[in-house]
Amino acid sequence: MSETSPDTSVEVTNVAVASRVAFAAWVDEALDVRTFGQVLIRPSASGAYCLRHRDDAEAVNLTFYDKPWDAREIARLTESGQHRPLKSSPNLRRGWELRVSGTVALAVAMNYLYPAGIVHWYLYREGQLRITNYRENAARQSGIYKRVQHLSDEGVQNAAKACCEDAVCLKKTLWDVDPETTLEIDRGEGEIPCPEPCSVFVSFARRIRLFERETKRGLDAAGFSLSEKEDLAALVEAGAAGVIRLAREAEFEEPLNERRLRYRKLTLLPKLRTAQDASSHEC
Amino acid sequence: MKALVIVGHGSHLSGDSSLPVFEHARRIRERYAEEYDEVVECFWKEEPSMRHVLDTVEAQDVYVVPAFISEGYFTQQVIPRELDLAGPVTCKGGKTVRYAGPLGTFEGMADVIMERAEDLLRHKRIRPGRWGLVLIGHGTDLNKSSGGVIYLNADRIKRRNVYDIVEVGFLDQDPGIGDVVGNIEAENIVLIPVFIAEGWHTRETIPEDLALTGEVTVKPSPSGYKTIFYGAPVGTHPSMADLIASRARETEVVRNVS
Repeated sequence: MSETSPDTSVEVTNVAVASRVAFAAWVDEALDVRTFGQVLIRPSASGAYCLRHRDDAEAVNLTFYDKPWDAREIARLTESGQHRPLKSSPNLRRGWELRVSGTVALAVAMNYLYPAGIVHWYLYREGQLRITNYRENAARQSGIYKRVQHLSDEGVQNAAKACCEDAVCLKKTLWDVDPETTLEIDRGEGEIPCPEPCSVFVSFARRIRLFERETKRGLDAAGFSLSEKEDLAALVEAGAAGVIRLAREAEFEEPLNERRLRYRKLTLLPKLRTAQDASSHEC
Repeated sequence: MKALVIVGHGSHLSGDSSLPVFEHARRIRERYAEEYDEVVECFWKEEPSMRHVLDTVEAQDVYVVPAFISEGYFTQQVIPRELDLAGPVTCKGGKTVRYAGPLGTFEGMADVIMERAEDLLRHKRIRPGRWGLVLIGHGTDLNKSSGGVIYLNADRIKRRNVYDIVEVGFLDQDPGIGDVVGNIEAENIVLIPVFIAEGWHTRETIPEDLALTGEVTVKPSPSGYKTIFYGAPVGTHPSMADLIASRARETEVVRNVS
């Protein structure tokens, strides 16, 4: 590595400053409130901003916070106390109000609630957001994630449907499999753009690649893989016990993980339905 | 304007991994408010990602400090790649980004380890006898150099002549912590995990492997009793914030030299 790399850019916009100013102006222009992800932002004439969960618009008796860094504490855990590795998951807890003063404090708070959200929002609006497609992202992975380079196009499509749609992530997915292969998913309606597969997605893609390898190694006589049967068994056991307790959000090695089950809905359910149809015809 | 960016590993499963990074960032904001206009956290497994953090920083002068103990895969490969760094000093997007080395190799690390040990022993009942310090590293047989930083700090502490014996033990390479703690010839043994954060190893595997019952475990030995004092990981000590700030300041020397 060289000691110092040359800066070849001629004119550089400080996107952090530009996005902070543009975002505050967008909020200030609102007749009443703006919604960004699950956060409701209400501007005041004094330059202060009042933030709440969007479902707490009319709520009273909220816990009050007044420092922008308090947003980290608000965003840290779900309602049930679970770690939130992906802040754009629709699991922001309720029951709080954060009042901050000025555009810098607003940007600090928003960067804890939706990390890099406002800079991506700004760059997308300006047509300057650089998109990194799946294959480009996968090509730079190393170590235990290198295997995601071998995930099939179909695997990427199903992984994205299971991992990125609004039911589990509120970002608008802008990336594709590669420049020639469009991602065929519901990309979402939210304000926060997603320019590149995130680390949670890469981890999920690694698990889906393991499933693909398992399938290639061979299925049982009925056409099911070992992990598919494990997942079905776990569901039956949990259902019979009366409580289906989902695994942690990014615990993809566990059968009862929500995204993993969403993937099974896409890939296992059709197989089960086909098998069901075939056996009913035989009768 | 100056910004400090602290890079942590983070975790998809637990907040324990990123907590010290957030805590040290808060301390640096309070203690070094005159020095840094912004103090920002980023992670490999949490958000903001290294990939996008620099776009959120307003300052032109950016100091990046990895909250990692050892020089290795993350500090040499993953962090430079994800932050798109070209070397110790990178000029990009109107910013000058200075990249510091990991925390474990920095000379102030031995001071933080000593502080952690002193904090552990405060208000504890002390029995007479020889004193041993064991630094616990993760280690890996895949990369022999990863344990080097643990030996480096053990050597630094040995030279201070505070402990009768200073040893090193690992979880995943030789010498294993069980053998080291079992064979050390001292009546009072201080164990300090040289880890960045609390986690599965510090909470479960180390206490289980060594049959520890808490911060203080008294065990019979051929010469009477051994008292084992088990400390929290060095990376969560409040003084690590000062170490991070010093590490960042040190990168100025690189600039001045170049």
